[in-house]
Amino acid sequence: MKTNLLIRLLPTLVLALGFFGASVLAKDITLLNVSYDPTRELYDNFNKAFARHWESKTGDKLSVKQSHGGSGKQARGVIDGLQGDVVTLALAYDIDALYEKGKLIPKDWQTRLPNNSSPYTSTIVFLVRKGNPKGIKDWDDLASPGVSVITPNPKTSGGARWNYLAAWAWAAQKFNNDEVKVKDYIARLFKNVPVLDTGARGSTTTFVQRGIGDVFISWENEAFLAVKEYGAGKFEIVNPSLSILAEPPVTWVDRVVKKRGTEAVARAYLEYLYSPEGQQIAGKHFYRPRLAEVAAKYKNQFPEIKLVTIDGAFGGWAKAQPLHFGEGGLFDQIYKP
Amino acid sequence: MQFKQTFLPAVLVGGLASAPTLFADETADTIKDLRNHIEQLDQKVRILERKTELDKEAASEKAKTAASVSAGASGFSIRSADTNFVLKLRGYIQADARFYADDHVAGTANDTFLLRRVRPILEGTVFEKYDFRLMLDFGSGVTASAANNAYVQDAYITARFLPQFQVVAGKLKEPVGLERLQSGANLLFVERGYPTQLAPNRDVGVQIQGDFDGAPGSSLVHYAVGAFNGVANGGSGDIDTADDEKDIAARLFAHPFKNTNVDALRGLGLGVAGTYGDQDGALRTFTSIGLQRFFGYLTSATPATAPNVVANGIHWRLAPQGYYYFGQFGVFGEYIISNQEVQQAGAGAGAGSFAKLSHTAWQVAASYFLTGEENSFKAVTPKKPFSPVNGGWGAWEIAARVGELDVDDDAFPIYASPTASATKAFSWGVGLNWHLNKNVKVNLNYDQTDFKGGAATDLLAKGEKAIFTRAQISF
Repeated sequence: MKTNLLIRLLPTLVLALGFFGASVLAKDITLLNVSYDPTRELYDNFNKAFARHWESKTGDKLSVKQSHGGSGKQARGVIDGLQGDVVTLALAYDIDALYEKGKLIPKDWQTRLPNNSSPYTSTIVFLVRKGNPKGIKDWDDLASPGVSVITPNPKTSGGARWNYLAAWAWAAQKFNNDEVKVKDYIARLFKNVPVLDTGARGSTTTFVQRGIGDVFISWENEAFLAVKEYGAGKFEIVNPSLSILAEPPVTWVDRVVKKRGTEAVARAYLEYLYSPEGQQIAGKHFYRPRLAEVAAKYKNQFPEIKLVTIDGAFGGWAKAQPLHFGEGGLFDQIYKP
Repeated sequence: MQFKQTFLPAVLVGGLASAPTLFADETADTIKDLRNHIEQLDQKVRILERKTELDKEAASEKAKTAASVSAGASGFSIRSADTNFVLKLRGYIQADARFYADDHVAGTANDTFLLRRVRPILEGTVFEKYDFRLMLDFGSGVTASAANNAYVQDAYITARFLPQFQVVAGKLKEPVGLERLQSGANLLFVERGYPTQLAPNRDVGVQIQGDFDGAPGSSLVHYAVGAFNGVANGGSGDIDTADDEKDIAARLFAHPFKNTNVDALRGLGLGVAGTYGDQDGALRTFTSIGLQRFFGYLTSATPATAPNVVANGIHWRLAPQGYYYFGQFGVFGEYIISNQEVQQAGAGAGAGSFAKLSHTAWQVAASYFLTGEENSFKAVTPKKPFSPVNGGWGAWEIAARVGELDVDDDAFPIYASPTASATKAFSWGVGLNWHLNKNVKVNLNYDQTDFKGGAATDLLAKGEKAIFTRAQISF
């Protein structure tokens, strides 16, 4: 038998050429940040700052794209294939789902960055119309007859889950953990909700732009933003007697960054959120900075509110999520559209 | 009585004096009630508007991710909203009839009805750039052998990195014969001409291909080069069990006048293709246009006692080809030379001898649409589909062809029997094709073949006269 080396090697060469071409063509220098609803302005500002920082450090030009929506919905998008290099969502449970349902990240993702991977915090407050015509002062006013309350849907929105749990925490304290009374209160509150948006920004539109409702249960940063954007003459912020410490976490999506070769830049991007400049930007956009010196600078901006934590009041998200927001959970029992 | 007379005026005066205040309070309350009522109604309207807005947003969002289903002349398909995922169900069925003159003579095939091709096709795309195609065949007589599972005609994936650079892997047609590369559903005649018998059919391998300036089939320049297991002339294969060597196959085809202003030349396509490799193993017979065997190498199941000819050495092919389409007229032609080193590996005369045999084949085929359709190498859409009620009679096409397959004279007598095999077959044929619509076609062909040599058999001595018909549906 005659053996022609070239002919025998040709399939290998053809395959090698094909895959070489593919790898060259697949190169991408962008990052996608999949985030929740009200962080548009924060990350628009932060992305530019980090791109400058990254270029000065490495010489590489970086473009960070943003995707926003209800936190739960965004998490499902990433599980279903949305190629987010990093996720910056409203609550840890939604990021946990990336491990639980997709194995896209390690189980211990929350230990990879300081402060349980939450570079900033926020809380839940009330936004009312100028002069507070319905006299809203605290959570019990939201369940009064004739008060129209705006909040997004806890099934799709991370912010809405914080809203619900803050109301629950207040009611639990008020009614000495009498679950029947707490459920009755929550039911009366949601009976006053005429529209359930899928995300916090949608609810802002409903309350601020469409003029619906007397009070908007809102992220603190979103309430500040509404007052800033539409003028203090139109809206007022009311701080309830008790609220919840919201810790929006961040992480890089291991399977995506490994595939795209963006692990180093994605990691640096999130670490930069903890830097003085990153914290400064967070404070500027009404998120409560973690870094002490930056937090001190913004101390007067954020009033003192008695805050419960998800771990302290509800035993953590792993317990709270299925109990309250799972299929047939307390929210399903309480809320009848 | 005195009391009434004294106080009645005072009461009346007092009542009249206080009336405006009572009326004013009532009016203010009414206005307040109305304002509240209006505000409530305003909120209800706003809420309804917002809910409608959210419903529309949800519907729009759902539409972005909802797949679309379509059915039409090009088949049935499901497509994701972003078009990155596509699944198409296509296929074609050919119900043929074959009639031979003098078929009562020994050695001539019988008249028969048959299912020439029954081919469901599943095509699709995943992640935008990766296509797949699976075509099966359940036609009459289709079987699976050790080297070729004929049930699986096509099974390949195409990675479309760029129009100019695509990688194909799997079982596909080697890029050689012009008419072989034409879809079986778009053939001008019921059976392909002689050059196809010297070209490779389907083979397993990997191929790089691309098009410059235009879509596949109409680009300025198309190229394909691949490495395959290697198959005998006219054959297909799924696995290479005969040797370690692989074939290189390549083809270059151009429409050199594609971008000129000369209408009459834009439909001219010219190309050249070829293969090179070292092949061992069984060789194939050659048949007439009527699919009757006229040439076969000497073979034996007991090579220790009888001649047995096999491929054993370099096999190369060269195939210049071209077509020209202008208006209703179309013509295509191809020539192919196949040079294969063979060995008489059995016993008997010439045992152990080698020879490099060059067989050649050519054909020219032309057609004309009587009903005015624009002719094409691809499927033709009738101007008026057949519908007597609406005055449509479909597309009518007349066709003619001539071709020849010439076996190397050196094949005789050591490698083939000069009495049982002919050294040349020359055929001419005419055809009438009725395209009822884009999906349904009826063919009627008459082909006559004369053979040179092999006079010991009635078929080869008298020649072949065959009428073939086909009813085809494709989608």
